[in-house]
Amino acid sequence: MALILDLTSPVGAYGARLLVELGHDVVRIESPNGDELRRMGPHLAGANDLDSGAFHEFLNAGKRSFAVDLTSADGRAQFLALVAKADAVVASLPLVVDETTLLAANPNLLLVKLDDGPPELCTYASSGLLAITGEPDAMPVMMGGHIPHSAVGLYLVLSSAAALFAKQMTGKGQVVDVSAAQALAALAEQVWIEYVSSGETLERRGSRGGITALAGALPCADGHWMISVPPNPAGWQNFVEMVPDPVFKDDHALADEANRRERKDEILDRISAWSTHQKKDEIVTEAQRRHIPAAPVTSPLDLVNDPQLVARGFLQKIEHPRFGPINFPVGAIANIWGGAPAVAPTLGQDNKDILARLEKTK
Amino acid sequence: MSGDLKNAPLAGIRMIDFGHIVAGPFCARLLADLGVDLIKVETATREGRTGARKGSGKSVGDGSGRTSLLAHINRNRRSIDLNLKSEQGRDIARRLIASADVLVENFSSGVMDRLGLGYDEMSKTNPKLVYASMSAYGHSGPRNAWTGMNVNLQAYSGMMMATGGPSDPPIGISNSWNDYIGGLHAAVAIVGALSKRVDSGRGFHIDLSQFEGSVGMVGSLLVASAVTGKPPERMGNRSPDAAPQGCYPCAGTDQWCVISIQNDAQWQALVSAMGDAATGLRDAKFANLAGRQQHHDEIDAVLSRWTRTLAPADVEQRLRTGGIAASAMLRGNELANAAEWQQVLRPLTGSLNQGERTVGSPAVFHGSHNVAPQVAPRMGQHGREILRDWLGMDDRAIDAFMGEAAA
Repeated sequence: MALILDLTSPVGAYGARLLVELGHDVVRIESPNGDELRRMGPHLAGANDLDSGAFHEFLNAGKRSFAVDLTSADGRAQFLALVAKADAVVASLPLVVDETTLLAANPNLLLVKLDDGPPELCTYASSGLLAITGEPDAMPVMMGGHIPHSAVGLYLVLSSAAALFAKQMTGKGQVVDVSAAQALAALAEQVWIEYVSSGETLERRGSRGGITALAGALPCADGHWMISVPPNPAGWQNFVEMVPDPVFKDDHALADEANRRERKDEILDRISAWSTHQKKDEIVTEAQRRHIPAAPVTSPLDLVNDPQLVARGFLQKIEHPRFGPINFPVGAIANIWGGAPAVAPTLGQDNKDILARLEKTK
Repeated sequence: MSGDLKNAPLAGIRMIDFGHIVAGPFCARLLADLGVDLIKVETATREGRTGARKGSGKSVGDGSGRTSLLAHINRNRRSIDLNLKSEQGRDIARRLIASADVLVENFSSGVMDRLGLGYDEMSKTNPKLVYASMSAYGHSGPRNAWTGMNVNLQAYSGMMMATGGPSDPPIGISNSWNDYIGGLHAAVAIVGALSKRVDSGRGFHIDLSQFEGSVGMVGSLLVASAVTGKPPERMGNRSPDAAPQGCYPCAGTDQWCVISIQNDAQWQALVSAMGDAATGLRDAKFANLAGRQQHHDEIDAVLSRWTRTLAPADVEQRLRTGGIAASAMLRGNELANAAEWQQVLRPLTGSLNQGERTVGSPAVFHGSHNVAPQVAPRMGQHGREILRDWLGMDDRAIDAFMGEAAA
């Protein structure tokens, strides 16, 4: 377990959270006024409350909080004393304490620097991802819930974890640069590949942008279900046996994925005409019985008691200090090792302990 | 392979890729970019080509014989062709796994067990093995046998209902998003398990659920919904912290530029950049964030009238000059020359396509070797050298195996 100081902005925050999920001791370095994550809405107990922001609650969960004024000489000295003991600093640019000073305090430090780039929507637009998100005849739209930030965080934690492993092997720290703009560009690589290989530009297709011909979120009596009919003949045959449409049964040309692609919208509309009278959980269960990839379209609210997430321990009931008993996400990585849920720290919660230890080991 | 590889972050780690389509092979590629010695086990009769996108169905011409998407996904590895339905093929597979540090597979739950290559069996001969399974929903729980593709997980993770505006249908993204996200989570878990192994001396079975990875991406929204009992607000392109913020129509067909005003000074700069077109926006009611949020629709109407007269690149340039965050929406044909893409596009070493570039890693290591992208192998291209390097087989034994395999 490494001691890691977290100075990331909201752009890298999911990455710093995943360092906690990997089992590291992550200390969130905050200004005495509390950091930006605490100010991000929605707040779950009144606006501007520093301990009730949804993003703070999840992304800072399991970290320790050290509130320190880095503009004061004392605060800076305390921070650098902590840097001297740390294995790594993970920080968004610009650095609050310059690189030379950090490395002088700890020549063996692993320093991972994140270039946040412009605001999320701008990075998303120039990465190529905006062109493939949204309804075809409407305004392109960014993925919600700061998912693009989470995606950047994944590259940040992967690079950090690899450099930590290298440090275990060689004993040496190093400096690593990660770019948010490049991380989102990397995730848009299919836009690049499609254009250089076929000359076609990928476009936004609402929910119908799957890689197979027949994919889309289709209406049900109580919401939507998402289908993805496998491209092989057996996949279509399975599907036709489930959806009672005489045209599908008699049209043998549709056994061929290329023909289905030609007539994609017509076919999806016919399936919709049937499914709109069905209950989504019933047809999804029936589809799965037939090994057809189908799923309900859910909102995060639908997932808070999800049986799969509960059974695997991804969601665990906790007595939250502010919100009482709720199902809290352990996280996809922590759940691999059977992690326990942890909540986010209050501002400066660990100051006393951290300062006492620094004093003792002076 | 380059000798510098021994200075890459994950140098000295042997990894074996049993992945197919995107998620598993992409996970392996992420780790190859960090320096693992990666081999891919594939079977000529079942090439994992399902899911190739229209327009990409033909061989890509880089020399790998793969479709374009799978050629890029499968770069930086050596390939061995093994028929896992034959006892000889499975025997070699077991021996390769016995000498590997890491294995990744993205089959449905139970498939590797039925091949006799599951974790319980493999860990007996190789207890240090880090074995990563990345099925759709995980190997346990009521949905462990469910099948799911990228779009199903986009739907089930809550992501499509967290995207778009209040009255929009579910909105997804037209690429293999969840395969990439699953691959990234698996790669993070693998590196974590390698670090734990340094101390414990033991391997681990990573039972990653790709579904959980996608739900983790919106974990904050789950916490919010658990507390409030409400679904998250669908805000489209808007933000509680910036206004106006949105995607604005520009001159031409389906051309767009995004703009995000982060503070009052930037708002004044926007009004001044718009010149006469800003008539109506100089009112004091727009001076602060709360006012701009309240009158966002009114601002958007005036702003759109102005952006419609300009190309996206013009809007971007004029506003950036004024210190305002603005970016043209780029499509596939605009990436090659885009400033944001210059660092991440790298030459693809070994490609037969002159000057071909591929998407590299967004990280630069200043104290370790940064691995250059290498063209994907042809199926089975490195069978002989893999048997020699990994298993220490001599030419006679290799010839004998190859002969049996061919028969």
